[in-house]
Amino acid sequence: MNAPISIALDGKDREIASGTTLAALVATLGFGPAAVGTAVNGRFVARGLREGLQLQAGDSVLLFQPIAGG
Amino acid sequence: MHREPLVDGDGWTVGGVALRSRLLLGTAGYPSPSVLRDAIRASETQVVTVGLKRTLASGSDNGFVAIVREALAERDARLLPNTAGCRSAREAIELAMMARELYETAWIKLEVVGDEYTLQPDPVELVEAARVLARAGFVVWPYCTEDLVTCRRLLDVGCALLMPWGAPIGSGQGLANPLALRALRARLPQATLIVDAGIGAPSHAAQAMELGFDAVLLNSAVALSADPVRMAHAFCHAVQAGREGWRAGLIPTQDFAVASTPVAGQPVLLDGEP
Repeated sequence: MNAPISIALDGKDREIASGTTLAALVATLGFGPAAVGTAVNGRFVARGLREGLQLQAGDSVLLFQPIAGG
Repeated sequence: MHREPLVDGDGWTVGGVALRSRLLLGTAGYPSPSVLRDAIRASETQVVTVGLKRTLASGSDNGFVAIVREALAERDARLLPNTAGCRSAREAIELAMMARELYETAWIKLEVVGDEYTLQPDPVELVEAARVLARAGFVVWPYCTEDLVTCRRLLDVGCALLMPWGAPIGSGQGLANPLALRALRARLPQATLIVDAGIGAPSHAAQAMELGFDAVLLNSAVALSADPVRMAHAFCHAVQAGREGWRAGLIPTQDFAVASTPVAGQPVLLDGEP
């Protein structure tokens, strides 16, 4: 079993299994792929690239959703 | 009920998209999604602004997205995502990329805040973000001030149009510097100009249109009014009235009276008698 690593998810520490991809994390959180936008370490990660992105210890992950705006 | 604008043939285009309505509407702050939907209908807008937010909420958006998309489908209208809250060109660029993916549009209302109190844009970061995004194929709608030089730079780097503020966002002050806005119109005759922010009353929107601006964008004036649907209807008509007034040609203001009834040759009842 992969040893857990610690990332920051929306500013809060979270442990995930080593080797977890960004796509897997989004799915684990219960979001469909098209429901959220993702950024890792301050950079936008396109939906098509999430499966190929393995999260590393210390990574900062942010999820964004559509909202009302002016 | 959908109604055509007062005068046919007075459309405008942005990024190759033809639009009839010259009122753009924000979607924030409404009492409920259904009021938002009805306000969109009453405004007859074809462009509504939306945003993005960091969240780990369970996923419910209170029906906002579905409501907006339904209202837009009725009117052949479109979404204009914004980069609200961004404080640097880098942040705004990343958020714009995300908005393009989430909302499936290359339109972006570019906001880069330079001051937390006035929420006025940072002109340096704004121009840099606009340059990068325009080069990446975005149709950039920059929220800016009425500074002419910054506006010229925004056009030079490829912005599709300009959106100078009327007054600080949500302030309801109307056009705080109409002389500067008038100068923008005069110095940039070919540019598409939209007053964005600070509008509080339908008369403010009419004033902007009477200056020759191409459209207005507002949110709080409708969303936070006592009756948003009725207010949206009022703004719809104010924008049309202001536009028609500008097209008709406003009379110049004078420092003295000019009698509207001609008096030369008219009979005078008392000729020198007290």
